[in-house]
Amino acid sequence: MSGADDMELKKGGMMRQAEAGLFSVRLHVVGGRLATPQLRAIRNAADRYGRGEIHLTSRQGVEIPHVAQGSLAALKEFLSPSGVGVGVCGPTVRTVTACQGCRVCPSGVIDSPELAEAVDRELYGTPVPHKFKIGISGCVNNCMKAEENDVGIKGWVEPRWEGPACAFCGVCEAVCPTKAISTSGDGRALIVDPTPCIGCGDCVTSCPTGSMREESRGYRVFAGGKFGRRPFLGRRILGMLRTKEEATAAILAVRDFFRVHGKSRERFGDTLERTGFPALETFVKGGVKRP
Amino acid sequence: MTTPMLDITGNVCPMTFVMVRLGLQKIAPSGKLTVRLKEEALKNVISSLKAGGHRVTNVSRGGTIFLLEVEKTSGETA
Repeated sequence: MSGADDMELKKGGMMRQAEAGLFSVRLHVVGGRLATPQLRAIRNAADRYGRGEIHLTSRQGVEIPHVAQGSLAALKEFLSPSGVGVGVCGPTVRTVTACQGCRVCPSGVIDSPELAEAVDRELYGTPVPHKFKIGISGCVNNCMKAEENDVGIKGWVEPRWEGPACAFCGVCEAVCPTKAISTSGDGRALIVDPTPCIGCGDCVTSCPTGSMREESRGYRVFAGGKFGRRPFLGRRILGMLRTKEEATAAILAVRDFFRVHGKSRERFGDTLERTGFPALETFVKGGVKRP
Repeated sequence: MTTPMLDITGNVCPMTFVMVRLGLQKIAPSGKLTVRLKEEALKNVISSLKAGGHRVTNVSRGGTIFLLEVEKTSGETA
């Protein structure tokens, strides 16, 4: 088999193994969620076409290893009725990872699986200059490690102080992990500095009088992160986005920026080192239509 | 009548929350309890008090130690 054939198979989620003639077949999983009939189908497929092994990947994916090249088409057909598709690899938009979000997790601020599904529908498997990973954390506890992804999302709480009932007890200032809250010079107001604020909402949760309120909750975007051989953390871009549609549009725009400015075999973080983050922000703001 | 004092400065989460809950069980509905706690316990203790319907009526501090005056909800029987 030629290298070109190998590459085509890889793009289709079939990775050649070290052992000649065998492939590890990557499946299409969004946010690590599978229904039990799908899990049963995957188990049966691994028994029938592999060696009864299933590999859970580091990014919530599922692979069936030890599949002979001649069985790849049959495996795909076998899984199809369960709704499990074959995944992607190579220079494409990869698995969208997500936590369980606000429908399951008490800390959740946004519905991460819902956003992951929406983003997956728009972007999964689309061609890009190099692999492109998306991770969605439902809150700033950041279980999905937003900054390790080419584009990451975190659920975010924006606090707002309302004066009349405030006792100036100091609790919000004490619990703030980034010391973003301070008392004004005249001692009659509290100031929340949005730059160090990490959107955790601890000040809102802890306020005994309800003076520190939730102004809004939404999505913060991080771009340019990666792991691998030369890890670096993505940086926060844009202001807080308030809807799933805005967040989806922002992720699409980041992907489009990469398509326009990225070079083949260049990770997005390296593209941003060349272009700078302001160019990305300007481009994405055009796509999201928000300040 | 003196407000009972509960000192949880020697406890760590989740025992801080457990101790406060046990402390509240010993007082009558609408009664008061003063909780002495460290700064790092503030968030979890206050949020659990609010979730239980109790009110923090006053807060004072000395360095990193806080005193919370808590009014037990009238609905709390246990």
